[in-house]
Amino acid sequence: MNKLNVALILVALTLIIVVFYAFDKEKMPLKYALVWLFPSVMILFFALIPNSLFKVADLVGFQTVSNLMTGILFVMMFFVCISLTIIVSSQTRKITQLIQEISILKSKINEDYEE
Amino acid sequence: MEKKIILIIPAFNEESNILHTYQSIEEYNRKHGTNYDVIVINDGSVDKTRKILVRNNIPHISLIRNLGIGGAVQTGYKYALDHKYDIAVQFDGDGQHDISGVQKITAPILSGEADFCIGSRFIQNINDNFRTTASRRMGIRIISSFIRFVTGVKVYDTTSGFRAVNRKVMKEFSCKYPIEYPEPITTTEMLKKGYRVKEVPVLMHERQGGTSSIASWKNIYYMVNVLLTILIMKLRRYEG
Repeated sequence: MNKLNVALILVALTLIIVVFYAFDKEKMPLKYALVWLFPSVMILFFALIPNSLFKVADLVGFQTVSNLMTGILFVMMFFVCISLTIIVSSQTRKITQLIQEISILKSKINEDYEE
Repeated sequence: MEKKIILIIPAFNEESNILHTYQSIEEYNRKHGTNYDVIVINDGSVDKTRKILVRNNIPHISLIRNLGIGGAVQTGYKYALDHKYDIAVQFDGDGQHDISGVQKITAPILSGEADFCIGSRFIQNINDNFRTTASRRMGIRIISSFIRFVTGVKVYDTTSGFRAVNRKVMKEFSCKYPIEYPEPITTTEMLKKGYRVKEVPVLMHERQGGTSSIASWKNIYYMVNVLLTILIMKLRRYEG
């Protein structure tokens, strides 16, 4: 096991612990926690198998493992960003509905009040 | 039984137009014996729109936050559905739409000929005095050809905000309405879903004040958005 694997294991474990902590303290629901857990477990998986990173880099055609790491992190961030966009969009829709319903209700109450 | 018709008027900072628009509808009702109800959706205006609405006893809903044209109009459809209206007409608060057109665009729906009727500036050339910029006209044409490509139907005035719908479409719109650039997108969607869409010529005026919701520098962004959304609908599958 070389330094890179150790570093990656530390990074992955930190991520997993932080996400679990947030989930446990109910700061993050499970479905959002999974968005982070999935890539973290992937990193851990590669880090735990010695030389797997070199093999994968070779297989996919990356010149160095550091390039592979950059690539993986990029894809991971991409994945997280897209899921965040989806979450924000669905929340926008819900907020719009809330504003509409509250405004309709409010106008109803005002009508009654004025009569 | 007489059908209940409501005009949904979205208003964002329309202090200079809204009262006049409302009064012209009232006057039309008196003169022609019609019974058009009105609901103004005040989309979080920061000017005196709200004060004018309250002071003049104009039926309205004031949105507690600005939602943009799509969200405002949808509120109106929800209200119309809730209050058992048979036909909802989207009518601009800025004086562009002529109240006499309401009778024309509701007629195909009253007769059961259409579910959704668009008041159009560009058929039969009755709007010789309506001037619109060449670029805007071209934009509308491009959207029109895209809609034709996706649905096979030619719609002339793709961005017209003067539309009448029956209860079936009201239900659709209450559940789902685009937040941005709703006109061309809803037209395409209704056609794809198999609703009967009709376009009739109406008179339109130039804006009497305020600014249009389509500002000029946003035009390219607007076109890209609308065209992409319409194209995506080509791929989507619809029931019915």
